[in-house]
Amino acid sequence: MREELHVGFVGNPNCGKTTLFNAYTGAKLKVANWPGVTVEKKEGAMRYHNERFKLVDLPGIYSLTSYTLEEKLTRQYILEDDVDVIIDVADASSLERNLYLTLQLIELGKPVILALNMMDIVEERGMEIDLHRLPEMLGIPVIPVSARKKTGLDILMHAVSHHKDKLNDNNLEHHHIGNQEKDSEHVHEHHKEYAVVYSDDIEDKIDSISEILLYNYPGIKNVRWHAIKLLEQDEEIMERYPVNLSGIVDRNYETDIINQKYDFIEEIIEEVLVNKSKKEASTDKVDRILTHRFWGMPIFFAVIGLVFFLTFSIGNIFAGYFEGIISSFSELVLNFLISIHAGDILTSLVVDGIIAGVGGILTFLPNIAILFLALAILEDSGYMARVAYVMNGIMGKIGLSGRAFIPMLLGFGCTVPAVMASRTLENIKDRRKTIFVTPFMSCSAKIPIYVLFSGMFFKKNAALVALSMYVIGLIIGILAAYIMNKIDKQEEGQISTLLIELPEYKAPNVRTILIYVWDKIKDYLSKAGTTIFLASVIIWFILNFGTKGMVTDMSQSFGASIGRFLVPVLAPAGLGLWQIGVALISGLAAKEVVVASFGILFGIADINTPAGMTQLSDMLQPLGFGTLNAFALMLFCLLYTPCAAAVGVIAKELKSVKLTLFTILFQLVIAWAVATIVYQIGSLI
Amino acid sequence: MTLSEGRIGQFYFVKELKLEHTTKQRLEALGLIDGTKVELLNQNYNGAIVFKVRGTRLAIGKKIADAIFVEEVA
Repeated sequence: MREELHVGFVGNPNCGKTTLFNAYTGAKLKVANWPGVTVEKKEGAMRYHNERFKLVDLPGIYSLTSYTLEEKLTRQYILEDDVDVIIDVADASSLERNLYLTLQLIELGKPVILALNMMDIVEERGMEIDLHRLPEMLGIPVIPVSARKKTGLDILMHAVSHHKDKLNDNNLEHHHIGNQEKDSEHVHEHHKEYAVVYSDDIEDKIDSISEILLYNYPGIKNVRWHAIKLLEQDEEIMERYPVNLSGIVDRNYETDIINQKYDFIEEIIEEVLVNKSKKEASTDKVDRILTHRFWGMPIFFAVIGLVFFLTFSIGNIFAGYFEGIISSFSELVLNFLISIHAGDILTSLVVDGIIAGVGGILTFLPNIAILFLALAILEDSGYMARVAYVMNGIMGKIGLSGRAFIPMLLGFGCTVPAVMASRTLENIKDRRKTIFVTPFMSCSAKIPIYVLFSGMFFKKNAALVALSMYVIGLIIGILAAYIMNKIDKQEEGQISTLLIELPEYKAPNVRTILIYVWDKIKDYLSKAGTTIFLASVIIWFILNFGTKGMVTDMSQSFGASIGRFLVPVLAPAGLGLWQIGVALISGLAAKEVVVASFGILFGIADINTPAGMTQLSDMLQPLGFGTLNAFALMLFCLLYTPCAAAVGVIAKELKSVKLTLFTILFQLVIAWAVATIVYQIGSLI
Repeated sequence: MTLSEGRIGQFYFVKELKLEHTTKQRLEALGLIDGTKVELLNQNYNGAIVFKVRGTRLAIGKKIADAIFVEEVA
């Protein structure tokens, strides 16, 4: 036994698995990706008495087949001995469906502990679960917990600690209706060993396949599970253990096996569930309004409008405080550097480079925190899944299922997780199309750009102009998908169609949401400390140095030369200033850097304060940069190639250099074309 | 009849899923098998439906709904 006990959390989506996991690990978790794929892997450590546990949150899945990547990963992880004990988290209020995964996990042959979550909801509805009978029928410990109220947590870990070496056959006691064993040709004694026992003909086949497997692969572990998978003609297992089963597997038995598992589940439910819920779930009442066939969509648009309104209105109040702090800090540092007679270069680097760059970005932390808070609430409350249903009609017109709208919605937060979320779409063409369109959803890193330029040039209408960016991005995205759909007609049968679970509505869990938001804030801060810091230093360098060393006039710098190179291209879009060229290139590192660059380019440390904005617009106006140019710039920033991190994830998900390059180029062209058209038409008026 | 043709609020028994392998297996894993009782909860203007199966609400597009053959529960 290794020093650490590896505990894997497995469960259906929406069963409260992550809430339970967070209850143990808090915010101290390590988020990484599974090797080679962009599926999140969360790990945390904890101590239970004298033992060290490594907790791993596995992806939410409904079954252990090999149809989705998440299922394959989970299966692989458990099979390869990376896990010592499995905690199967089940939503007790929807026990019937959750038990299906439980039965599959038990079949895998590892120690399994069933954590019955949401027992409070079960009680509320007047249902009762026989906690004595359930473990008898399953042969595994069953621990009632409430991840939200944090009850049963210690007992669950106690069970993990005690159960780590045990097989799942203790206490197993049940009998099938009709007692099928009696009419078996050869006696199956399996009821003492296995929770799920199939019909005689299937058990006969499992036995025969097991024999063949053991003969060909003497070292094979858990031969019964492999035999069942071969009977289901599971592609992955058939590839790994090629054996000749002609005469035994004459057809695909998957449906039979599923049916019989559910037959057993029905028996369990019959015995353990007392007072089946008579009361109408409040979810159905809420859904009658939120997913109403006519009102559903207006309600969604109202919700999303409110989210952005809060992001900008409330966010800006807090942002004001931040600005004050940062500008006094900048002054303090400047005075300090002068007092210690630091050289001009150092003073310039710190004040004009780092503080102007990084500080300018930190100001937007409140806006971004509010946006992610809102997205987290939409997700955790269960509304996000409804959006897929409500938007299914519109999405259908562009050849996508409503489900593809979820990654797009997440794209308003950050393109990186949004692109990763496209993984939930089964069809590869849908995935590509969604990945293609998602960057047009204006991400939170672009907020600083909108706030700055709409604030400077649109005064009273600033918020409206900033909001218009979101609408324009959405429209361009939908148009792009529509055109792609027209060009690339999918064959019949390939048309993607919606399939999504609508979970029960619940009050969002404060802890889950705070951990999520904190995670995003950390990302943002670390981005400010790394990417933006570095980019600020580099921009400062290329702007303050030229071929002859440090320059006093930036127009003599390296940066200016690079920027000038782009002027002829950007001029038709009203962006023909070398400074803009530099700012746009720097924005490829991260979108916030565009604002940071303007701060450095024009030497304004407090670029987001009213004074800073006035100063900047006073400097821009004489260069021929007016309201229309500002609008064109915002449009260009909205649409052009996303940041390096997003491009990285896009490349990984598309798994094609060609497609990735095409995406980058396509976005550049669209950005340039839209900005140019708007600028040219605007100039005529 | 198919689930698409159902009435909101009515219960149905599943008879057959006329779907390609992957989608069929996914639905079966969610407990939608021969004889399962489902309740039609909602239908969208574009033919997408919401139904309840084994305590779970599922939203499916018209194409899948058209392929689920059911029989009304008397």
